[in-house]
Amino acid sequence: MRRFLAIILCKLMRVVGKMLGRGSSLPGQFALKVCPDVLGRVKLPPYVIAVTGSNGKTSTVEMIAAILKAAGKNVVYNAEGSNQIEGVTTLILSQCDLRGQVRGDVLLLESDERYARHTFHWFHPTHFVITNLYRDQLTRNGHPQWVYDAILPAIHPSTTLVLNADDPLVACFAHQGNPVKWFGLEAWPGATKEHHGMYHDGAFCPACGAPMEYELYHYNHIGHYHCTQCGHHRPHPDFAVTGLDLEAGQLVLDGDTPIQLAFRSIYNVYNILAAWSACRMIGVDKHTAAGVINNYILKNGRMVRFTLGHHKGTLLTSKHENSVAYDTNLRYIRDLGTPCSVLVVVDSISRKYFTGETSWLWDIDFDLLSAPHVQRVVLSGRYVHDLALRFECSSVPQDKLVLSASIPQAVEFLEGSGDEDLYVVTCFSDRDKVLDRVELEDK
Amino acid sequence: MKLQFVHLCPQRMSLYGEYANLVMLQRMAQELGHAVEIVAGEAPDLSKAHLIYMGCGTEQAQKFALEVLRPQVDGLKGALDRGAVVLFTGNAMEVLGQSITDTQGKVWEGLGLTEFTTIETRQRTPHDVIANTPPGYSPVVGFMNKCSLTAGVSTPMFESLEMGFGNDCQRGPEGYLSGNLMATHLTGPVLVKNPALAHEVLRRVLTCAGAEVPQTLPVLPHQQEAYDVTLRELRSKGENAG
Ligand SMILES: [Zn+2]
Repeated sequence: MRRFLAIILCKLMRVVGKMLGRGSSLPGQFALKVCPDVLGRVKLPPYVIAVTGSNGKTSTVEMIAAILKAAGKNVVYNAEGSNQIEGVTTLILSQCDLRGQVRGDVLLLESDERYARHTFHWFHPTHFVITNLYRDQLTRNGHPQWVYDAILPAIHPSTTLVLNADDPLVACFAHQGNPVKWFGLEAWPGATKEHHGMYHDGAFCPACGAPMEYELYHYNHIGHYHCTQCGHHRPHPDFAVTGLDLEAGQLVLDGDTPIQLAFRSIYNVYNILAAWSACRMIGVDKHTAAGVINNYILKNGRMVRFTLGHHKGTLLTSKHENSVAYDTNLRYIRDLGTPCSVLVVVDSISRKYFTGETSWLWDIDFDLLSAPHVQRVVLSGRYVHDLALRFECSSVPQDKLVLSASIPQAVEFLEGSGDEDLYVVTCFSDRDKVLDRVELEDK
Repeated sequence: MKLQFVHLCPQRMSLYGEYANLVMLQRMAQELGHAVEIVAGEAPDLSKAHLIYMGCGTEQAQKFALEVLRPQVDGLKGALDRGAVVLFTGNAMEVLGQSITDTQGKVWEGLGLTEFTTIETRQRTPHDVIANTPPGYSPVVGFMNKCSLTAGVSTPMFESLEMGFGNDCQRGPEGYLSGNLMATHLTGPVLVKNPALAHEVLRRVLTCAGAEVPQTLPVLPHQQEAYDVTLRELRSKGENAG
């Protein structure tokens, strides 16, 4: 009876909430009050896929959903990215019939890495995709190992793990004895023998603490590694990108499926690979999956094209407090080779909470912007001085720098000068402060 | 004059861009005309160092660093005796004491350079910090991200905090300071954020090297402004953050 009430209540609140334009976590929150174990009392679809990790969760979920739809499957997923237990409850109950059967062939969930254990207390995924663990919002997350420890209790022994073989910390999840499928990127021309980045989170084995060695690095600490002591090593992947030419925007999946990339960034490669692996595992054929992934354009707005004065502009959404997200975008700019300018904005460090913590700026490899084709670097926002001090200690020539605490003034300055391509690198928390002042390309 | 800074366990013990602390001191010293050599490693020679620094790591990394440093306790003591500065930030501070008790109840014997003891907790306390300083000195700003309580500090670096969690209580005394042994749980580039604190360290380093200590010490471009903005922001918004 309480289950019935919780479902009705949740559905009603969801309808009202949608009319009022409210978020999606409140109905679930109330339903959990009425029936705390409601998630344990619904009948789930045969496949429950969860995706977690520091970067790429939302993109991977979007891509999996698109592929599953193309394969004719009825997929229920949290498109709004409300990824804690309340939001997940809202999603599940609003897709339930009154007897508690969740509609659909596949339930697909983006799960917050810190709260997955609460969500998966009452039910557990059949497939758990873990993309990567980086330094991300250390101000509330602690460090990657802390997040690893937080995810562990969310893993049910019968869940099949779908793990990034190239991330040494993620690979440790296999030590739990779960069934595991691995995905990874094989050697490609852009891989390096040397580590690049301001810090090296793969220098020591996450399992035993001994020094690790890498045959190659894809980026930061992601690559082909082995521990010099305990045998922890990059497993042979079950699903792989077997060929990659980022410059040409081409990759090959599992030796025989060529893909054209709409966005030539290494993290797009991993999102594709994760989505491919999950979908192949639940029986989607290669042809259907490739058809969706080919020239797939992310609709989650991480990359936005616009015009400003005579500049053709692109917003590359990074995440403040996430140096790997910054590094991948800066590397993308470095590899372009065409004349451009870059606008970096740090105004509000987070959307969700206040902090004045800027140590993550020192973890970002801003030296990447010393490439000769980067003509100007405009720094802006409340923390412009922190940025300027960071750049003072970088290899970017100081005469390329332009400073403006005021974002409108920085945008105005760019509007009135030059016609080179423009890249804006900033976070969700600050991007609209720029986008509101430019002419957006049709979506 | 040639100054030498030793950066202990720079890869294991660096969660928050700690290398920048040494970059800052190096740049300041260079402005004064000194050459600075930064020696980084797990077990470098400490006998010529004017400054020995270690930053913050994961709880696991901290235990490895502790074992790596254990054979070098005499080297650290010797350095302090000849006037060198030993500065440990973040959870590096904890290894200086008598012991660290982890969440499994295991007691790790510390380096024993001071009297305090630390107990790790399952809860993390991430928080912006404003630390009170004696009259005439600028408050110190920063961030802490700790999962421990440190008890038995008789000579803290900061007598109290305007914001943040001290050694073992909210707004309580924070860090440790005795002679040239300096420690604080403030994470990351605390010397980058606080030119006045960097100057305090630099004065001690110059004294150790027998170099002249000028009345006015250099500040890097934007360093003071960055500090001013952070202090202003913390005071205006930080209260809401709890
Ligand atoms: Zn190992």
